[in-house]
Amino acid sequence: MVVNPSDRVEPASGGRELETQEFVVNMGPQHPSTHGVCRLILTMDGEVLKKIVPDIGFLHRSIEKIAENRTYHQFMIYTDRIDYVASMNANHAWCVAVEKLAAIEVPERAEYLRVIMAELNRIASHLVFLASFSIDLGAVTPFLYAFRERERIVDLFEMTCGQRLTYNYMRIGGVSRDVPKGFVSETKKFCKYLYPRVDEYEAILTENPIFLGRTKGIGILDLPTAIGYSVSGPPLRGSGLKWDIRKDEPYSAYEKFDFDIPTGLNGDTWDRYKVRIEEMRQSARIVEQALDGLPEGEIKAKIPARFRPPEGEVFARIEAPRGEMAYFIVSDGSTKPYRVKIRTASFCNLQALPVMGEGFKIADLVAIFGSLDIILPEVDR
Amino acid sequence: MTPEELTSKIKTTLPDKVEELPAVTGIPAFKVRPEHLEEVCRILFSDPDLHFDNLPCLGGIDYPETNEIGVVYCLFSFARRHHLNLRVMMPRENPEVITVSEFWLAADWFERETAELFGIKFKDHPDPRPLLLIEEWDEGYPMRKDWEGKDFIRMPEVGQEK
Repeated sequence: MVVNPSDRVEPASGGRELETQEFVVNMGPQHPSTHGVCRLILTMDGEVLKKIVPDIGFLHRSIEKIAENRTYHQFMIYTDRIDYVASMNANHAWCVAVEKLAAIEVPERAEYLRVIMAELNRIASHLVFLASFSIDLGAVTPFLYAFRERERIVDLFEMTCGQRLTYNYMRIGGVSRDVPKGFVSETKKFCKYLYPRVDEYEAILTENPIFLGRTKGIGILDLPTAIGYSVSGPPLRGSGLKWDIRKDEPYSAYEKFDFDIPTGLNGDTWDRYKVRIEEMRQSARIVEQALDGLPEGEIKAKIPARFRPPEGEVFARIEAPRGEMAYFIVSDGSTKPYRVKIRTASFCNLQALPVMGEGFKIADLVAIFGSLDIILPEVDR
Repeated sequence: MTPEELTSKIKTTLPDKVEELPAVTGIPAFKVRPEHLEEVCRILFSDPDLHFDNLPCLGGIDYPETNEIGVVYCLFSFARRHHLNLRVMMPRENPEVITVSEFWLAADWFERETAELFGIKFKDHPDPRPLLLIEEWDEGYPMRKDWEGKDFIRMPEVGQEK
């Protein structure tokens, strides 16, 4: 452009105060750090988050409606699909609820096998958390390490039930099959192998200055807000409450095992990470104790195919890797449940995200979201 | 507090406001009329002995035979370690009940979900938008027992298949 000297040229605004304006950013539904299909509508002032509105429901399958249309046995495979990263625990929750409703005695060996599988799956789930969380923060190595270890757990599950993702291993009254030859020794080997690996992740991340800068003091969730939003699992323990359903309302065989409940101090992203790291060690301890004490005997109570629990209702909950997973079942005495309400941890934990994220920067949101370890099929159901 | 102590405590604290239901699996259960819900919840939430600080679960339930629709509140107290189930029943035409999100923040999304799936209106809800269904959903309330959808087939009772 040629400027004629007689034309007037406006000088640049130099040191003048610039006008700022809030604007809306749409994050998702397809965003690598949402680990699924979740949309966040963010109101931003520059880089700072002013308001977060989660928009969910992209994976809604109305599993609760499906449950009313299936028998108690048939519904088992749908529980796998509520939380596909920890489907052993999702199976377990359904079993515990139905058995409580019908007052079914589960053989001791089955309870031990359930505990072993649930705890192995908890480790696998926390490894997936570690992998995705670290890659969200830009650390690629722990991602590869964590999936390497998870592979061994998945191999153990494949050995037992033939599946690598949606295991569908548990049954009402027990488990579907006994563990194969060699499972006990392989799992013991795995536990021995895991402890130094967890130390290795900690050596990479826990005191890493970049990691600390991204997580310490970020996304603080205070305890009253956590309880109000019914947040559970590692986020609740990260906020400082020593509460674990395995310990405080024991189900299955958990009262027989010795383990600690790790808690955080500040309720920030780092605390939630640290709680999960410690839980992996504790879960491995439970698995070792359960393998040592594994009793002989039946693996399944005798439950008829046309299983009809008595009329009534039940609210039963378990500690899944993401927090409290509960079923509220109303039975009318037929083979199908009259009403099933599925309470999942992610649904409640995600609700607290706006409180945790507002006031922080958009890059921190990825870390906060990752530290909640949300799984979207569980939110939408 | 044991479930029995809790039951008697609630009955003495809230006479005429609650109606006892059979406690099937060890958790005391009460029925509350919609107009008393706010007062009952306020006392359950603030009474130092009851101290229900947590709402782990809330869901709707539909009984077309008796023309009733309801909301079930599963309450828990971290401070006192006890459970309670509350139930509010309303007629199926224009059911309306007050929101409890004033006491338990978690009720916000639970009630939004129940509102769109069951067609129960929650009065004074802070954010009454739909939660799970698509924005242009106009096929009624899917969780109601008499809902008919185009791909929805009701399975027969086991043992009575043709």
